[in-house]
Amino acid sequence: MYKPAVIAKNSFKELLRKKGLQVLLVFGLILIGSSRLFSFLTPGEEMKMIKDVGLSTIEFFGALIVIFGAIGALSSEVEKKTLYTLLAKPLKRRDFVLGKFLGLSLATLLNFLLMAIFFIGLLLFKEHTVSSGIFKALILILFELFLIAAIALAVSTFASPAFTMIFSLFLYLVGHLIGYGHSLMEQTESALLKAAGTLFYRIIPNFENFNIRDKVAVDIFVRWNYLVKTIGYSLIYIAVALLIGIYFFQKREI
Amino acid sequence: MSAVIKIENLTKIYKLSKRREVTGLLNFNLEVEEGEIFGLLGPNGSGKTTLLKIMLGLISPTKGKVEILGKRMDNVEVKKDIGFLPENPYYYEYLTGSELLDFYGDIFDLPENVKRRRSQELLSTVGLAKVKHMVLRNYSKGMLERIGLACALLNNPKLLILDEPTTGLDPIGGRETRDLLLGLKKEGKTILLSSHFLSEVERICDRIGILDQGRLLAVGRLKELLKERKVETFEDLFIKIVKNNV
Ligand SMILES: Nc1ncnc2c1ncn2[C@@H]1O[C@H](COP(=O)(O)OP(=O)(O)OP(=O)(O)O)[C@@H](O)[C@H]1O
Ligand SMILES: [Mg+2]
Repeated sequence: MYKPAVIAKNSFKELLRKKGLQVLLVFGLILIGSSRLFSFLTPGEEMKMIKDVGLSTIEFFGALIVIFGAIGALSSEVEKKTLYTLLAKPLKRRDFVLGKFLGLSLATLLNFLLMAIFFIGLLLFKEHTVSSGIFKALILILFELFLIAAIALAVSTFASPAFTMIFSLFLYLVGHLIGYGHSLMEQTESALLKAAGTLFYRIIPNFENFNIRDKVAVDIFVRWNYLVKTIGYSLIYIAVALLIGIYFFQKREI
Repeated sequence: MSAVIKIENLTKIYKLSKRREVTGLLNFNLEVEEGEIFGLLGPNGSGKTTLLKIMLGLISPTKGKVEILGKRMDNVEVKKDIGFLPENPYYYEYLTGSELLDFYGDIFDLPENVKRRRSQELLSTVGLAKVKHMVLRNYSKGMLERIGLACALLNNPKLLILDEPTTGLDPIGGRETRDLLLGLKKEGKTILLSSHFLSEVERICDRIGILDQGRLLAVGRLKELLKERKVETFEDLFIKIVKNNV
């Protein structure tokens, strides 16, 4: 069997058996379900709210689950010293990192599907139809989650679990606000600040690219072309993050 | 006979911070021949685990080189022929004993039927056949040590590296393990082990090495070392060598 697949299978098992992540998932589902509380609004507005809240919840809880999963993926093997035995076997460190990413992605996909199916069920129950926009929004969220997984995993190859968590949450926030930050920067006089701003803007992934729920909630059409481009964007970032992770993990003392 | 392990000038300095350093191993040289059982002894913190970890590529040496079965350690393929039992082994607690062997078997790329047969054999060899479907979370310390030994033997290795293999075992387990190791030696396998049990080392090892503060202070056959240093017992020898090193 392909070595990363062996690792992926095992870490997928571990993630599924983790209590904390299951709790997060249940919270996410409750929140999606509770968007029905908006029934005091007019029907049109209610649907808009349900879509917006549902998609936001899937994205936010998905991100939390991914970040916590990624932190555990490496650090639990280091702390419990299971890595000693594993890396003493014919397994390239590169394959270990790739396997961890695959396992994490698989668990992410499963969590995502559970929330997405629940959400779509809710929409069907209310409206008897689901627009293609909803699916597009969901697909972009999924790739955003894969990207967060790759970044968090890469950071955890050289940083402590606590740092990884803080950094990932911070990046998640900044990555969502970076659009605003950039337009603010454009207005400054200082060339240095402007250059720093542009550099930041180029390096940090812009998570807002993955957010089309404002449009979808009010049925504005989003082109497939945009989806393809954004997915490509995420894949590039994922590849770079994994390369960085592999580089640091190869040097790591176990 | 050819050297299965060849270690030259191995040094490991752990950098704790910019200024603080700890010597794990210093100018360490050793050759272990095929079919030998070699025992590493030394006080706590003398560098035994450091040596074994470098040999397995878990940490990188500051200086020096290691060759195993004629290959450099950065070649992952060598590890196909090595079995390793870490000190205080700890495994995926959410797996059962047989799931664990199955997982490692996949890492070794063993064919499905070989993997299944060897797992069954080894589980009964180490006396865990009855609990193979129990998750490792519920294993006792000695049981973990036993499953660790099974894992180390899974790939039918030419070289076995064992870090304190009998520390957590009951007297029966200790005896069984020693018999197992002697049996493996008969099959022509090479074994490098670290231990704090002098009597155990005395009984099964062909040669011993005594380490202190990262340095190999004595190496050879026990009988010859006793004669050389003019002492009666192994214990006296160990204490004399380590005390003289201060
Ligand atoms: N990761 C590390 N960082 C810093 N120093 C370390 C590290 N690992 C080991 N050392 C130091 O290296 C020295 C040798 O440690 P090592 O674990 O090799 O000893 P040992 O002979 O296996 O001891 P024991 O019999 O207790 O298992 C000790 O001084 C220890 O403090
Ligand atoms: Mg040790």
